[in-house]
Amino acid sequence: MRSHKPYAAQTAPLRPLLAKEVREIVSGRSLWTLLLLLCPLIGYSFFEAVSLYSESSSAALQSPVLANSLSPFDGVLVPTFGSFYVAATLLFPFVAIRVLGQEKETGALRLLVQLPYRSSTLVVTKLVAVVIAWIFAGIPAMSALAVWRGMGGHLALGETSNLLFGHLLYGTLVGALALFAASIAESAATAAIIALAVTIGSWVLDFTLAGQPGLLAWIAKLSLTQTLRPFEQGLLSSGLVLGIVSVISGLVALASVWLPPGVPYGRKLRRSVPFILAVAAVLAAATQVGWSIDVTEDRRNSFATPDQQLLATLKLPLVVTVRLAPEDPRYADLQRNVLSKLERAMPNVSVSLAGGRRYPTGSGEESYGETEYIYGRRSDISRSTSPREILPLIYGLAGVSQPSPRPGSEYPGYPLVASASATFLWFFAALPLLIAFCWWWSRRPSRLDRYLMHEGGSS
Amino acid sequence: MPAIGSDFARCTHLAESRTDKRDGPLLRVRGLTKRYGGELAIDSVAFSAFPGEILGVIGPNGAGKTTLMEAVVGLVAADLGEVLWREEPLPASRRRDVLFYLADGVRPYQDQVTAEVISFFAGVYRRSPAEIATILISVGLKPVLQKRVHTLSKGYNRRLMLALGLLTPHDLILMDEPFDGLDLTQTRDIAGVLRRHAERGRTFVLAIHQLADAARICDRFVLLAGGQVRGLGTLDELRAEASLPCGSIEDIFLALT
Repeated sequence: MRSHKPYAAQTAPLRPLLAKEVREIVSGRSLWTLLLLLCPLIGYSFFEAVSLYSESSSAALQSPVLANSLSPFDGVLVPTFGSFYVAATLLFPFVAIRVLGQEKETGALRLLVQLPYRSSTLVVTKLVAVVIAWIFAGIPAMSALAVWRGMGGHLALGETSNLLFGHLLYGTLVGALALFAASIAESAATAAIIALAVTIGSWVLDFTLAGQPGLLAWIAKLSLTQTLRPFEQGLLSSGLVLGIVSVISGLVALASVWLPPGVPYGRKLRRSVPFILAVAAVLAAATQVGWSIDVTEDRRNSFATPDQQLLATLKLPLVVTVRLAPEDPRYADLQRNVLSKLERAMPNVSVSLAGGRRYPTGSGEESYGETEYIYGRRSDISRSTSPREILPLIYGLAGVSQPSPRPGSEYPGYPLVASASATFLWFFAALPLLIAFCWWWSRRPSRLDRYLMHEGGSS
Repeated sequence: MPAIGSDFARCTHLAESRTDKRDGPLLRVRGLTKRYGGELAIDSVAFSAFPGEILGVIGPNGAGKTTLMEAVVGLVAADLGEVLWREEPLPASRRRDVLFYLADGVRPYQDQVTAEVISFFAGVYRRSPAEIATILISVGLKPVLQKRVHTLSKGYNRRLMLALGLLTPHDLILMDEPFDGLDLTQTRDIAGVLRRHAERGRTFVLAIHQLADAARICDRFVLLAGGQVRGLGTLDELRAEASLPCGSIEDIFLALT
């Protein structure tokens, strides 16, 4: 029955380990409680979003010109998944911490670390189980998509998939953070405090510091909330994805370092340093990666296709100097409507705030509010924040003629007048009952375990 | 206590017949020292375990038994000393390859069904259904396989832990207080299981604070008090060392510590 060779020389299967981790999550109450809480939360958000969208659609039916501003992505999907994000930020750490914290508290970790797996394998397997739990937790939100489709609503594959991908990355990030917290904390309660301090702390950071000038704006960008924003705007940014993946990898590596008992703290600290430096280096590199895709159906992050194609051919550097305070709403408009699109469309664009951000809001200086555009040896100044005025200005500087608009390429909009009252029944009764049934079902022993009970008992 | 007396005789006989010292020790611990702050938990502890024997590390609560066990398997970083496996140095990172430790007070995966925990370990070590069934029968887990771990009595939790240990392929298993909380019948049952596995060549190192329990099952003893080894050997060797030719393990322990 026993092998006289060390077991580590053989390859231990991953399947039982992953099955155990998934069972550990499913057998606890936290995931099911989260699911039951998400049902009314997402249901109410969905109801509100559909009601507002329906009201706007009614107006659009009277005035068709309003219809092309009606996007289900902004009107329904983002608000519905917004409540999923709130619940995930506040509650999901408890589900993720359980995967490791419970083992620490019951002493089972001392068994686990003796099994023939590397620490990194143990942590990665736990993270995979956490991601599976996240996908489970997404069931109410996914059901909202199905209900929306059932109501006759429109879903665009690209922007919907991108939003789901963003939430998956965010969930994985929160899960990795929770695992790291559990690996350094002695108890699940302490780990929860650490994880929530980061998630809620960064949330508060985003609320209080966003739009502030200088260093505060930079600090606000460290918020975890910022990771979801581009996905909610319909952008798939390679730099952001690289940054999130590097932080997740770093947290997994740190959790692997801190997991094994019996290693002095000093050694764990020394082993952590290279990982922290590596993540910092990758994050710094990620900020320089500007490549991104506009996945929205209405191309809101891009100019019209003929403009995009023409701007891509302008190879000389375009230098933009903005004389606005960073917190001035006009700067936000200019950034959203023009500058960010230019940066994506043209190969060489540099944007700077004039005077080293010295302008206070509403500065009385005559030049305040001006934006200077320099292309080659020519320059021009504008106070506009609209691409309708600025694109011709740039074409003039480049000496090219403005492209003619392509007919039929405008976003049609998807107005829908529908009542969401019936969805209450789904989110407040049917889905919770279904989840409760699945909870009961999950507590039945698996086929292998029933076999064990039979075989183990036959004496 | 006729049963215990007969166990003594059987154990002494087995100690002589089963413990194979010809190939040298399977495990050798040399000068193991662990300090918590200014306090020495274990101080230059040295002992060996031979193939097929049941070695008892005995001592009162606070003697350093748990620290010693955890330092041996590498769950606690020792300050000094070394562990050798078949006379080769065994670094802490490789100890889990050959040693498996069942800690005291562990109630693993409380919300899972007992059979699920068993199937996890069986899956990790690729045990066949027949092997699983043999172990389950030998430790007597049948009545609780479908119970959740948190509902198990202390005795059945011990049996579960023992089953997990026996599912591993390791030649040497260390167990901390394997009989704590068990009644006499349960202790004898578990001792019988350990003895049968020792007869098949598996080696056990048991940390026990109940001297009578240790006397029932162990082939040799390490007497630990105040973190130091105060005696080492079979019962007869310890009797000779303590100059108590007819002394019980309690008498010997009191005489040597």
